[in-house]
Amino acid sequence: MSGESIVRTFYAALGEGKILGTKCGECGSYSFPPKTACTECGSRDIEVVEMSGDGELQFYSSGGLPPLRFADYAPYAYGLVKLKEGPMWLTMIKGVEVVDHDKMEAFFTTLPVAVKAKIAEVAGTNIVTFEV
Amino acid sequence: MSQLRLNRGSSIVGVGCTEFGNMLETPGIKGLCTEELAVKAAFEALDDSGLEPKDIDAFFIGGVQMSTAHMFAHYSRMCDWLGLQRKPGLHFETACSTTNTGAGLAAMAIGSGRWDNILVVGVDSILSHPVDNPPERVPQDAGELWTTTDYGADQEYAVPHGWDIAPGYGAFPTLAYAQRYGLTLAQMDEIMFNMHMTVRRQAVLEPKAFIKQDLPTLAASVGIPDPWEFWNSQYNPYAAWPTRALSCLNPCDGASAYVVTPADKAKQYTDTPIDILGFDWAAYNGLADKDPLNWDVDRLPFEGAYKMAGIAPADIDYLSVHDCMQIYQLVLAEVAGYLEKGQGYKAFLERRTGSDGDKPICTHGGKHGKGHAFGASGGSDIYEAVKQMKGAAGARQIAKQPAISVVHNAGYCMHTAVTVLGRRD
Repeated sequence: MSGESIVRTFYAALGEGKILGTKCGECGSYSFPPKTACTECGSRDIEVVEMSGDGELQFYSSGGLPPLRFADYAPYAYGLVKLKEGPMWLTMIKGVEVVDHDKMEAFFTTLPVAVKAKIAEVAGTNIVTFEV
Repeated sequence: MSQLRLNRGSSIVGVGCTEFGNMLETPGIKGLCTEELAVKAAFEALDDSGLEPKDIDAFFIGGVQMSTAHMFAHYSRMCDWLGLQRKPGLHFETACSTTNTGAGLAAMAIGSGRWDNILVVGVDSILSHPVDNPPERVPQDAGELWTTTDYGADQEYAVPHGWDIAPGYGAFPTLAYAQRYGLTLAQMDEIMFNMHMTVRRQAVLEPKAFIKQDLPTLAASVGIPDPWEFWNSQYNPYAAWPTRALSCLNPCDGASAYVVTPADKAKQYTDTPIDILGFDWAAYNGLADKDPLNWDVDRLPFEGAYKMAGIAPADIDYLSVHDCMQIYQLVLAEVAGYLEKGQGYKAFLERRTGSDGDKPICTHGGKHGKGHAFGASGGSDIYEAVKQMKGAAGARQIAKQPAISVVHNAGYCMHTAVTVLGRRD
């Protein structure tokens, strides 16, 4: 580490419309979000790469008691996405039903479905959400 | 590198646990301060072992919620209360698996030959926090409690991305189970209802449990004679669809403790030593591991602990798993190999997981029924396992007194500890 914050780099890149992860020079796995070692094998031989933003929504729900910082956004969808590059990620999901449980169940039976990353400002921070 | 055999074995020779509840209300712990809560469990464990504080060589104290205990440095804050002033002690923490991890720590401390008698204590006072005039406490705001609990989750990325434990640890494994094994969500709800009937029935049989009413009694108390109707009513909203509120933990206050000695000296203190046969741990950052029904962070410690203990899943007589979301009774019983993958739900539907069933799981009522006092819960689970193995579990005694028990705990977010306990002869 050179003193440069990879977290800072990640959030700055989101502001320019880019989603960063890392690719491992040893095992070839992608990690998301970017940290300081490969999340699969632990190697420090990683390079920051731009992620495709493509993924598959595995499951989603909506919490009845969301964390305080997201209270103003409730009810919101929160889901598990498998990125095209391999990693799984939990984040807010756009474009899905969050109130009508019959509709949610009907949609659930069609999962997984393709989703596309959408950078959005939530609680004052740019984050990577996914849209159906 | 790791080795499976320690230089000498270790045994639990005494256990203690307070009532699990609310220090502002619950008889037995009402009015205590956090130090006294810990002492109550620790002295019960000492009494159970016949040892005195002077006999303890080292002590490990676990506690998670500094924000509500207003405490760190538990070793110095409590050493004199425990009669352990000037002894080697430390504060340790793996969140909600803390006092399961403590069994492995004690086994290694003894296994190395450095110390003989170890006291492990876990304490958390999370429903209230101290104010300026001790020992008074005031209720803790639930939202603030979860904000500080979430300090155990990835603050750089996961939390800003909407982090919410209820969907992640409740809804997604429930949905995944339905999807993989071809069950409808209505069937999943029926499984969770029957599981909860057992959970509460077991809690009522444990005098120290937070929950005092079985589900039919709770339903009747609001004028609903049918517990299934109650389950589907406004009294049981979704914590995160399709996971209902009653399938979640009850956070509470409590303390637990156990005394560990070298296996070859254990008979000096008890007729029924409970040997620590194996243990293993794993850490993982977050809830987004690949398979929601078979996380590596759970699978690996089960495998490692079984290997160290030299047991197979078929040897397990009693299983305790970390059911802060009750779906994990089902998921983890299958990961543990205690129930067959994809078939385990039948044991819950048929209510065979209580103390009178053939597949007993969490006979104290688990993290909902007994309650979940974070850093004390692993020790509470070990307390239950030891009581069952000694035939001392009272009204909830498993008919076939367990010879092998496996205790699993998951700490936020995530740390899994698995300990294998064995009774001799």
